[in-house]
Amino acid sequence: MEYMTTLSSGSGFWHPLLWLTAFVVVVVLAVIIRSFGARKYKMDTEQTKPFLSGNDESDPNEIHVRAGNLYWGYLETLKGYYEKMISLHTGNPADYLLWLFGVLALVVLIGLLA
Amino acid sequence: MTEIFLKLIIGVVSMTALGIVGGFIIQGVDRKLAALMQARIGPLLRQPWWDFLKLMRKENVVPEHAVPWVYNAAPIMAFASVITIFLYLPFAGFNPLMEGYGDLILIMYLLAMPALAMVFGGFASGSPYATIGAQREMVTMIGYELPLGAIVISFAWKMAQSGLAHPFSLKTIAANPIWNLVGPFGIIGFILLLLAMIVVTPAELSKGPFDAPEAKSELAEGLLVEYSGRNLAMFYLALGAKMIAMLGLTVALFFPYTISQYFQVDTTVKIVIEVLFYIIKIFLVMFVSVTLMRVSMARFRITQIVEIYWKLGGTMTFLGLFLIMLDGKL
Repeated sequence: MEYMTTLSSGSGFWHPLLWLTAFVVVVVLAVIIRSFGARKYKMDTEQTKPFLSGNDESDPNEIHVRAGNLYWGYLETLKGYYEKMISLHTGNPADYLLWLFGVLALVVLIGLLA
Repeated sequence: MTEIFLKLIIGVVSMTALGIVGGFIIQGVDRKLAALMQARIGPLLRQPWWDFLKLMRKENVVPEHAVPWVYNAAPIMAFASVITIFLYLPFAGFNPLMEGYGDLILIMYLLAMPALAMVFGGFASGSPYATIGAQREMVTMIGYELPLGAIVISFAWKMAQSGLAHPFSLKTIAANPIWNLVGPFGIIGFILLLLAMIVVTPAELSKGPFDAPEAKSELAEGLLVEYSGRNLAMFYLALGAKMIAMLGLTVALFFPYTISQYFQVDTTVKIVIEVLFYIIKIFLVMFVSVTLMRVSMARFRITQIVEIYWKLGGTMTFLGLFLIMLDGKL
């Protein structure tokens, strides 16, 4: 009955099976509640076209958010940080090794001081 | 073990009812208060219930470019994940129903699930407005998870440092009000964390001024633009229940105090007193972190949201954590 034990990291803990049971029960309840709602709509009419404030729909591939722009707001806000970080990625292994040893030296120094 | 599963199933059914009814009430109060603050009469307190009924009677349109199974499943997933949060939250002085089977980190993940369901639903809608809204929701999530994570870590650190077992357990946190465990620096630190929590709450609930993913006037409801009828009704239920869950979490972390011990009355009356006291705390936290925030500020742009959470929120919470650790060392 190992699957019935609560997983514990020493500090944190959770029981996946109990959560899953609860989740399934609520899904069933949600499906029952949802089933009381109206099911029908007018298929293949203007009703099913995407709402674009009355504008004509362009090619969907052209107007959807591309994967490269998924985190746009985040990347735009931290643009200054990313510009610096990208410039540090020179592609030269010697530079990366220098960073590795530099950070290691810093960690050792902090360890010694602590 | 059968007993636990039986308790769980009964608990889930009652928590579902509590989430739905509580969600309607709290949304009604929030809308009424917001209206009064804007010198409007506002809707009736029971308006959310009528809105839900109206949605259930409307057509449930599935857009032609949608991925139907993801589009239809998203509202159900959102609702189900919110309701499971209630099982791990202490209510009105009572321990969580599933005490010992889930901690604060689990609640953090469960809070993210409804937002993810909305993101999946938005992308599955096949609408440009919805995909922009879903993209914004993802960025908003990345934003507020940093301060929220720092808040959780700060609490757990303080609990562990105080020598309490299970530092991530909400039972431990609720039984040991944080303000009793810290000195002056710690109090300042936790006030900073409380302020951060107040700022995180509206974004968790997709409320103004952090409602860029929906942005009614700009994206016409954003990631929910294509939703209608019973699917939208389910999202409506999920958001109402999430409001209770998020406010319940704030109360459990920062204001877990009880008052019934000061009254020499029967146990039943004590329970009634505790429940009333808990409701008052929930409404007070709601007023400050939801109603006041959205009435007093205009919507932030998505770049401003990230800036607020990562720069201001991040600085506030890490400064708070630093002060709490300093307090612990003194």
